[in-house]
Amino acid sequence: MKFIIPEGGSGTFTESLDALVQRVMPSLTIVHGHRWGAGAGIIWGEDGLILTNNHVVGQRSPVVKLQDDSEYASRLLARDPHVDLALLSIEASGLTTLAPAPISPRVGEMVFAFGHPWGQRNSVTRGIVSTTLTAKTRRGREIPIIRSDVPLAPGNSGGPLVNVRGEVIGINAMIIGGDQSIAIPVSVVIEFVERALSKQKNRTRRTKPVPESVL
Amino acid sequence: MKNILVELSDALVESAERAGDSTVMVNARRRIPASGIVYTEDLILTANHVVERDEDISVTLPDGTDLSASVVGRDPGSDLALIKLERSGAYPAEPAKMPARVGQIVLALGRPSKNGIEASLGTVSAIGGPFRTHHGGMLERYLRTDSIPYPGFSGGPLVAANGTVLGLNTSGLTRGAAITIPTDIAWKVAETIAKHGHIRRGYLGIRSQAVEISIDAQKALKREQATGLLVMGLEKDSPAAAGGLMVGDILVGVSGSPVTDHDRLFAQLTGDVIGKSTPIDVLRGGQLQFVDVVIGER
Repeated sequence: MKFIIPEGGSGTFTESLDALVQRVMPSLTIVHGHRWGAGAGIIWGEDGLILTNNHVVGQRSPVVKLQDDSEYASRLLARDPHVDLALLSIEASGLTTLAPAPISPRVGEMVFAFGHPWGQRNSVTRGIVSTTLTAKTRRGREIPIIRSDVPLAPGNSGGPLVNVRGEVIGINAMIIGGDQSIAIPVSVVIEFVERALSKQKNRTRRTKPVPESVL
Repeated sequence: MKNILVELSDALVESAERAGDSTVMVNARRRIPASGIVYTEDLILTANHVVERDEDISVTLPDGTDLSASVVGRDPGSDLALIKLERSGAYPAEPAKMPARVGQIVLALGRPSKNGIEASLGTVSAIGGPFRTHHGGMLERYLRTDSIPYPGFSGGPLVAANGTVLGLNTSGLTRGAAITIPTDIAWKVAETIAKHGHIRRGYLGIRSQAVEISIDAQKALKREQATGLLVMGLEKDSPAAAGGLMVGDILVGVSGSPVTDHDRLFAQLTGDVIGKSTPIDVLRGGQLQFVDVVIGER
């Protein structure tokens, strides 16, 4: 997996912001998983791994659209409704990936959400990490979640929440009470992807996608 | 090369950490706890409306220590309450040296749970005031920001990017929408409550109504002032009656400052003037006269 090592911006606030957006945007995708509406996804592996929310993926395999408008039929590698994550694969290579943030999110840290709120393609919204907390999944598993004050809307789901260095700190998942945005931390994402890929390796070759949970 | 975005983000993190050390959880109502600002090592300043009871109050310090606390005093007019910890050990907040400015980047902080400090980013949108609160108080100034007032943020601080406190956030004065009481005002109220147990307000003892001042009378006044307060009645044995104010006088000033309406008079009758002989400017029979009144306490 290729990670982009972020360089410092040069000087002004706006230039730094611009550099950040230029760094992250190439890895943002559109994921058409339902008949209506679409979510976001991020390029997780240069060989075609796409990460998104489970709820963005419907019953059929989604169509993934990249920044150059190329569209790919995807294969569903794994999904987990309990952490609301799904891993897709498209027949592409040499894609631009994002680096995961190496440290845990800190309260007050500036963050940016990339996605397609209300279908507005490639939108960026800004906020800070409000708090980190743990939530219980329906299976009773405790997972950390990030709450931020970044404005999110339908269409942001599956998109990245990045820090000022353009590193992924989470995947935007939902909105509570209109103004509280929830993201799945990248640590949970990494664990999910690793388990999904190791199961994938041990599995005999299949021609059809595997729609059930792998966890 | 320096990245200003990284620097700003790091500054916000440090600010939340620093001011978070002086932001406590106040448990004094039925629904979720609210927040408070450490005023001194054993005094917590918070929003009055979140202190629903006078007993069985507890405060959780940033390190997780639970302390019981008691109410020192309240000022419902500015929605502030001061509570005292059973023992000292809290880390006092540092007030900002400069008042807040429109456009300034700020953090609203709260500690409504034991999960740690919570923050929301915003900018100072407007500075307003004076504002007559519906609890009979008067806020000389207040701040509006576009930060999100999360549940339980009332009583918590609005902080500058350097971690100093610009004010106290409350949603109790404006029916839901949050405003911020600037630090200088909040600290002054805290100081008064700590000293006297309550907020002192001056008292004249008149019933009055705003009236227009005729052009001729304005000439006698030697200034342009379109309105004053017509004295309609005097409370028995009131400071105004003792000082010689009469029904029919038009009150136009206190201590030389023009009084054009009730809010202006209210603003003049602060705790500072209680017990002091204060010159009241009145128009009596079209002539300007000065009546010395020893202001009482309400």
